[in-house]
Amino acid sequence: MALVAGLPVLALVWVALTSFSGGGGLGARTLPGALRETGLLLAMVGLATAAIGFVAAWLVTHFSFPGRRIAQWAFILPLAIPTYLSAFAWVEVLEFTGPVQGAVRLLTGTESLREYWFPAIRSLPGAAFVMSLVLYPYVYLSCRAYFLMQSGALAVAARTLGASPQRAFWRIVLPLSRPALIVGVTLALLEVMNDLGAVEYFGVNSLTAVVYFTWIHQSNLPGAAQLALTLIAVVAALIWLEQYARRRRSYLMPRDTQTRPPRAALSGLPAVLAVAFSVLVVGLGFAVPAGQLAVGAVAQIARFGVDGQIVSALVQTVALAIAAAFICVLAGYMTAGRLRVARSPTGALLLRAATLGYAVPGTVLAIGLVVPLGALDGVINDIGRWVVGAAPGLVLTGSAAALVYAYAVRFLTVSHSTLSAGMVRRGEHVLEAARVLGASRGRVLWRIDLPTLRPALMAAATLVFVETIKELPATLVLRPLGLETLATFVYAQAKAELFAAASVPALLIVAVGLVPVLLAGYLQGGGRGQAIAS
Amino acid sequence: MKHFGPAAVVAAVVLAASGPAAAQSQIVNIYSYRETGLTQPLLDRFEAETGIKPVLLFGGDGLIERAAAEGENSPVDLILTVDIGNLVAAKELGVSQPIDPAILAPVPPAYRDPDGHWTALSMRARVFYASRERVSEQSLDYDDIAGPEWRGRLCTRSGQHVYNIGLIASRIVHLGLDGTRQWLTAVRDNLARKPTGNDRAQVQAVYSGQCDLAIGNTYYMGLMLTNEAEPQQKQWAQSVRIIYPDAGGDGTHVNVSGVILARYAPHKANAEKLISFLLSEEAQYLYAETNHEFPILDGVAPSALVASWGELDADPTPLTEVAAQRAAASVLVDELRFDEGPRN
Repeated sequence: MALVAGLPVLALVWVALTSFSGGGGLGARTLPGALRETGLLLAMVGLATAAIGFVAAWLVTHFSFPGRRIAQWAFILPLAIPTYLSAFAWVEVLEFTGPVQGAVRLLTGTESLREYWFPAIRSLPGAAFVMSLVLYPYVYLSCRAYFLMQSGALAVAARTLGASPQRAFWRIVLPLSRPALIVGVTLALLEVMNDLGAVEYFGVNSLTAVVYFTWIHQSNLPGAAQLALTLIAVVAALIWLEQYARRRRSYLMPRDTQTRPPRAALSGLPAVLAVAFSVLVVGLGFAVPAGQLAVGAVAQIARFGVDGQIVSALVQTVALAIAAAFICVLAGYMTAGRLRVARSPTGALLLRAATLGYAVPGTVLAIGLVVPLGALDGVINDIGRWVVGAAPGLVLTGSAAALVYAYAVRFLTVSHSTLSAGMVRRGEHVLEAARVLGASRGRVLWRIDLPTLRPALMAAATLVFVETIKELPATLVLRPLGLETLATFVYAQAKAELFAAASVPALLIVAVGLVPVLLAGYLQGGGRGQAIAS
Repeated sequence: MKHFGPAAVVAAVVLAASGPAAAQSQIVNIYSYRETGLTQPLLDRFEAETGIKPVLLFGGDGLIERAAAEGENSPVDLILTVDIGNLVAAKELGVSQPIDPAILAPVPPAYRDPDGHWTALSMRARVFYASRERVSEQSLDYDDIAGPEWRGRLCTRSGQHVYNIGLIASRIVHLGLDGTRQWLTAVRDNLARKPTGNDRAQVQAVYSGQCDLAIGNTYYMGLMLTNEAEPQQKQWAQSVRIIYPDAGGDGTHVNVSGVILARYAPHKANAEKLISFLLSEEAQYLYAETNHEFPILDGVAPSALVASWGELDADPTPLTEVAAQRAAASVLVDELRFDEGPRN
């Protein structure tokens, strides 16, 4: 399993070690600058997503205010918007020719940027702003699930023992929430590391960009592979941090403690502030970019109608996403289950290596995949010629199966962390009890294990489904001839810089991504079940 | 393995639903770096005339590597791409084979592979977009923008973008590595802002007053002037005029779009028919009209709009010589930390 998932990374190691001729790669002069900018971006996005996600989760679980029930699911909405789409929409809004600066010029009577100052959206802080606004839901989801499960009982205990609300918050709730915070922030930061499109658009010199020009312009794949492995090391550190944080979960109270956190009713100014915060976050994270896309899409459809290819792209995208979600959940269940049973350090290390796919920039991952798959296809064809006298052609490379494989490698981390968190929280005792009472392995699986994990399974499937729909770089390289997904469709239009034309499939990505997000939110029905991401 | 049973079923279903159309023989399989909106009208015309159906895989970087990994089993017949770097890389990676010399004969030798593995199909020039309001010079050379009078007035996209890599590589051919280092250092310090955005964004920056002179490809001017979907771009384009650098000297740097014949092309005859079609006067005219590029054939005139910007005096240096300096150009951009912006 670890081998199958780790194949692209191993291929990269092989390329980096065998054909490196010195120069380039880690010797790049811009590497320090890229490291600095990537580090700054990670720090900014980490802090911002932690703050926004935590406060949002805290508000909806511990207070009641007008619109709380809506806010509870609305906070998840930005998850459906890929960072590159949000980036492009925000630039349209805030650039010189956008409505905001237009209004500034109208109000001040100015005509040129030489006459007034306006913060540049295409900048490092601009990138951090846009990314934080679409990535905070990871933190929100993990923190909210956590608050619903845990801090209720302990916070109540603290209050009963005479602690003030402030003291209970700072001494009990915040320290206890650290693992949930770290889980969410890690997932958000992995997204940042992976994102080439948005980062390039904002003119941020990221590590990913250095990997890219080393490979493309200097035809130095070994150098690029070395850099990619450095990138993986950074991400491995992030993942390790996340897993380290999660270790502490075993100290927490078991799930059976069904004490809901008491919700204090807000009124007056605090209520206004809570509503304002919710409106602002959801507005900036979802309404503005989605609205901008909708404006473009309406203009495009009014002028040119709907392109028939979009419908087939939609169908293919959904089929691929369902396949990827299914496989990732299955594989994630296996790796998480394995980690739960066997606690040997080597096994755990291997499993962690297997989940590193998320760390590799999509295009580099695709190259890491295409090389061994092509070689394997060669072997298959040789065997075919030898045995039956005919070559079957390409079986693996350029097939939908290879594409689903790439998604599985990339998003295994997501399903693995979600499921492993779910398993830890549920605990082993129910399974052990069933076995002790004489149930067979299969019966335990179907009657106890899977049903009790259902929220986590659904959460994992939802996240992988949404991620797959948004995935672009690996899809571009690996998809079969003639197959288009919504994301490749957007890319094709955006590359031609036809942003209005790109808006239609872009809006569809958001819409399709919303379906499972809302469904999961709905199934949670007033907080009865567990939250979708752990 | 039994755990993968259902997974394999799902994968097989997806595969069956979307496998490539390999059964028909009257097809030509294309990996394309070019925007579909641009190539589709041409391919439609080709299909109508010959009955051969083009099957397209549109993508970005990585398609040539994919063809290389697929090896002799690869379904690809032709690779359509932009930038001289991709054309040369395809040959270096061994994914190409010689095209029938008779088909390539009309193409000027500077714009095709000496061994006939690829040919250019159209040209674009890397020019200056000068503010109509704030730039008085009527003619300028690449060397001129290194002068102190341009401090804080230039805009360009990332130095590592293929278009700029091509330009800098051609500078290395003319000035040598040390000369180009000095030139690029001066240009970097004349930038008004850190390189960001695409070529159109540079024109927008001139329009908004952030800078006075941008470096960009010619066809963007045509695309912006005729952009009905986003009419505000017409205003950006109208705020600038095109200056062809080095006209009368070394000539203006040009890059190309081109086509590669795949080494293991299963439909080689169809592929050569398509190349021949793309080099026909009819296709060359269509190309020039829809994308505002320069035709590669001497006998075909550019579109009226393109002609109105003046006459192109293209740098006659063979493109393979320019391509040979691309890695050096990329290392130089990295060395000078061009993309981190001016350092004054």
